[in-house]
Amino acid sequence: MTLLSVAGLEKSFGERRLFAIDELALAAGESYALTGENGAGKSTLLRILAGIDQPERGSGQYADRAFGWQPYPDWLRHEVIYVHQQPYLFHTGVLDNIAYGLRARGIERAERERRVAAAVAWARLEHLLDTPPQKLSGGEKQRVALARAWVLKPRVLLLDEPTANLDAESRQQTLALVREFCGPRTAAVIACHDRDVIELPHMRRLHLAGGGIEVCMENCNAV
Amino acid sequence: MELLETTRQALLLLFSADAELWGIVGVSLSVSLIAMAVALPVGVGMGYLLASVEFPGRRPLIVLIQGLLASPTVVVGLLLYLLLSRQGAFGQLQLLFTQTAMIVGQVLIALPVLIAFSLSALQSADPRARETALALGASGPRVAWTMLVEVRFALMAAVCSAFGRVVSEVGCSLMVGGNIAGVTRNIPTAIALETSKGEFAQGVALGIVLLVVALGVNSAFAFFQGGAQR
Repeated sequence: MTLLSVAGLEKSFGERRLFAIDELALAAGESYALTGENGAGKSTLLRILAGIDQPERGSGQYADRAFGWQPYPDWLRHEVIYVHQQPYLFHTGVLDNIAYGLRARGIERAERERRVAAAVAWARLEHLLDTPPQKLSGGEKQRVALARAWVLKPRVLLLDEPTANLDAESRQQTLALVREFCGPRTAAVIACHDRDVIELPHMRRLHLAGGGIEVCMENCNAV
Repeated sequence: MELLETTRQALLLLFSADAELWGIVGVSLSVSLIAMAVALPVGVGMGYLLASVEFPGRRPLIVLIQGLLASPTVVVGLLLYLLLSRQGAFGQLQLLFTQTAMIVGQVLIALPVLIAFSLSALQSADPRARETALALGASGPRVAWTMLVEVRFALMAAVCSAFGRVVSEVGCSLMVGGNIAGVTRNIPTAIALETSKGEFAQGVALGIVLLVVALGVNSAFAFFQGGAQR
C-alpha cells in the first residue's frame, strides 16, 4: 500500500539540474536503500521529502491527501522524520532532546515521560542521560537522534547515511536500531553509498543517477 | 592629598547610607532596567526576523542598524529632545525632563545593540538546529524559541553589552532628563554636573558605584562569551 508518493519532482541549483523524478512511491512496511554517487542528490531528495528543502516543481500525496511545498503542511511534518547524517542535538539535555518532538505535538507530561523512558530503553541510553549532548561521541549522538525520531512513531523515516563516519561497533549498534525501527507501519528511506548498502528485510533499492531515479526490485545488483 | 581626602569622603558617603547618593543610584538602575526590559523582546524579535525572513530592503536595514551601533548618545538625546519639546511632534505628551523620556532614549540606544548582536548570534548558529526543529514537527514560534535557546549565551552577552551602554551613557539622559535632583538625576549626569560645581566626593562615590556595576556587567559578558564558544 502506497503511503507517500511524489510526482514531477524537479530540483536545480542555479543552472544545474540536480534531478527530475517522474514518480516515486513509498509503501508502508517497505525499506528503501537510496544509492547514488556523491552529489547525485540523495540528501536533497530526503530533505525535500521531509519539507526542509523545496523543489522547483512537484506534487505529493500522503495516504489519500495531496500536498505541496509552499508551504509544506504541518500535519505532514508529524508523519515524516528526517535524521541528518551528523545529527544535531540541542544544547539542552539528552532527555530534553528526546522529548522535543513530543512537546511540539502537545503531548501531556505524564504520557511524554512514559514515552521518553521507553525510547531511552530502546536505544540503550540510560548511562548517557547526564552527559551534555555536545560531549557524546558520533555513535552516541546518532542513537540519541534515532531515539528522538523513534519516540514520535513516524510513518515515514528518512535517514541520511546513518552509519557514515561511525566506527565498527557504533555502526553495528546503529544498524540494529535501524532494523528495529523499520516496522510494518513504516516506510523507511535510507541513503547510503553503493559499496555500503544497508541490508534490511523487504529492502528495495532506489538508485539516483543521471538526474533521475531507478526503482529496482530486491537484489537488483545490475544497478 | 586632595585626591586622598576626596576618596575618604567618597567612601564615607558610600557607607553612610547617604539618601541622596543612593537615590541617584536607584534612578540609574530603575531607568536602565526598565529600558532593557522594554528593548529586549523588541530587539531580539527584530534580530530573529532579520535572521530568518527574506524581505525587500533587508540588507540596507541591517547596514543601517549596524551603523546605529556607533550613534553618539547625545545625538539620540538631541533628536528625542526635538520630538518631545513643546513644539515637537510629541510635545503634547509633556514627557521632556521625565524618567519616561530617559527610558525612551535608552531604549533607542539599546535597540541597535540588541538587534545587531542577536542577528549575528542567530546567523552563526548551526543551520541544522533549525532544520532539526522543523523535522521534529515544531511550529514557527517553537522553532524561534528553540533557536534563541540554542544561542542563549551569545544573547546574554548582547544583553550585558546593551546594559553597559545605557547605564553609563550621559548624553541622552542629560538632554531629555535634565538632571533634576531626586527625579531624573542618574549616576552619569550627577557625575558630569555635580563635579563641575565642586562636589567631588559625591562624584567619586558615584563613579565607584558605576565602575562596580560596569565591571560586574562586563565580567558577566566575558563569562557568557566564554559559554558561547564552548
